[in-house]
Amino acid sequence: MKNNIIILGGGQAGVYAAREIRQNDSKSNIKILGEENLLPYERPPLSKDFLLDKKKEEDLCFHSSDVLKNENIEFENISITKVDFENKKLFTKNDDVYIYDSLLISTGSENKKLTLDNNLKNDIYYLRNLEEAKKIKELVSNKNKITIIGGGFIGLEIASSLSQLQKKVIVIEIGNQLMGRIIPKQIADLVQNTHIEHGNEIILTKQIEKITKKNGDYEILLNDNSLIETDFIIAGIGSTPTVKLFENTNLKLDNGIVTNQFCETSIKDVYAAGDVSNFYHPLYERNMRLESYQHAQNHGICAGKNIAGVKTEYISIPWMWSDQFNLNLQLTGICNDYDEIIERGNDINNGVIYFFLKNKIIRGACGLGIAGKIGRDIRITSKLSEKNTIVDKQILSDQNQKLNKLIQK
Amino acid sequence: MSEENWIEVGSTDSIEEEDLIRFDHQDKTFCVYKLTDGFYATDGICTHEAVHLEDGLVMDDEIECPMHQGIFNIKSGEALSPPACEDLKTYPVKVDNNKIFIKID
Ligand SMILES: Cc1cc2nc3c(=O)[nH]c(=O)nc-3n(C[C@H](O)[C@H](O)[C@H](O)COP(=O)(O)OP(=O)(O)OC[C@H]3O[C@@H](n4cnc5c(N)ncnc54)[C@H](O)[C@@H]3O)c2cc1C
Ligand code: FES
Repeated sequence: MKNNIIILGGGQAGVYAAREIRQNDSKSNIKILGEENLLPYERPPLSKDFLLDKKKEEDLCFHSSDVLKNENIEFENISITKVDFENKKLFTKNDDVYIYDSLLISTGSENKKLTLDNNLKNDIYYLRNLEEAKKIKELVSNKNKITIIGGGFIGLEIASSLSQLQKKVIVIEIGNQLMGRIIPKQIADLVQNTHIEHGNEIILTKQIEKITKKNGDYEILLNDNSLIETDFIIAGIGSTPTVKLFENTNLKLDNGIVTNQFCETSIKDVYAAGDVSNFYHPLYERNMRLESYQHAQNHGICAGKNIAGVKTEYISIPWMWSDQFNLNLQLTGICNDYDEIIERGNDINNGVIYFFLKNKIIRGACGLGIAGKIGRDIRITSKLSEKNTIVDKQILSDQNQKLNKLIQK
Repeated sequence: MSEENWIEVGSTDSIEEEDLIRFDHQDKTFCVYKLTDGFYATDGICTHEAVHLEDGLVMDDEIECPMHQGIFNIKSGEALSPPACEDLKTYPVKVDNNKIFIKID
């Protein structure tokens, strides 16, 4: 049967879903509706190689228009402003109507904004999309002292890139370590040291009291009364799922769109995937929301299969990375539900990994190393956690013993 | 091609099965793999960003990049999973007298 399948949100999850649907269904109409004027593209380079000019706009798209055309997948650059789930309709602000039989919501997430009492809203920059990345890149070219509010992954990646562009960078973080509590303090400290070695200033446990504009520059007053002078401000203070559109509908929302392990939402024929979805993970027996490249891709593919009628559970082990200077940080599984921590290695040249175990089973790991030093072991950890393997702690903690042994049949 | 293009990498027991070693020759760097059906060689550096694949994971006929999990087919060099999208160059390999040689052009 020929269906109208609409994908709302033209990002990574959306495009991978579209292609997967086509793999399994040659007849249905597949249309991606995206408000950005560009085919679905990769966001990770925006805070790294794009700012550093090592990657250009044309390097970012996942697939060319030819690939999508060949697969008969339509992309329309349009913003949806209203949904009517009952009648399966989507509307634009001009009241153009799109009718679907099946809908995938892949609207991603958006940056939290600083709440400032004065009128400096337009003076603070955020990074989520290519337009913002272009703007930042252009504007920082003649700035020297840049302040980043928020010491999370994106803020620190920007700090790393701007430092490599010879800028003086100050990072202000409210918590007592970088990258939130999910990252072991020891790893956060190693990352912090690297930033400091490259000349970045890291200020922890401080809050912004006030920002004032002075002769085109800014003064930031912190809660300990210290004053920071800066000529450009970027905030990276976390993100929220893009769900405003659905707030007054029947769609079940709770930190994103609640979905089951088949990417199905509370409304029939409506699916969600990627950053926007708070999905049930059968292995961990709980819901979670992830903002990562690999998840967006795999979750999109899984949604695509289910939309095309190939019932498929989503059981991917969470995994993400962050690159700062020559360091590569990786997280896999879940790192906040454990009764034991095992450390492997102690210097970043050979890689440092913290394994999180519960009842002797690896639940997750976080590693940091120069370039790809920890990649293989983190990947092996994902495989071990997927199979609930009880592992020899001696092997985990001894860097001279290869972990390959643990997964070989 | 002349015989000189075959460069000795090392002995066949220098690589464990389903594993790889790094091999540097002049200003180039390679990965040499031992799979269940023999030896294979590719460029050493991932086509996505400049990271060596020596720390990657070999699974069946595939090498997974240690940095962002881009995946390549070891035998054909084909990029199989993003963020890797450009194929990896492969090189002919022969074994002679328990020694591995790769042919570099
Ligand atoms: C700067 C940056 C760096 C990152 N770096 C890394 C990294 O190093 N490693 C990693 O693992 N992950 C990284 N990520 C995270 C990763 O990129 C995201 O998790 C991924 O892009 C999520 O994909 P998605 O399809 O769910 O959403 P998105 O890619 O955000 O796509 C959603 C799309 O939907 C559109 N949309 C929303 N509402 C509407 C509407 N009403 N109508 C039409 N269109 C709409 C949005 O404009 C957007 O284009 C990074 C993200 C950012 C922003
Ligand atoms: S460097 Fe290999 S996938 Fe990115």
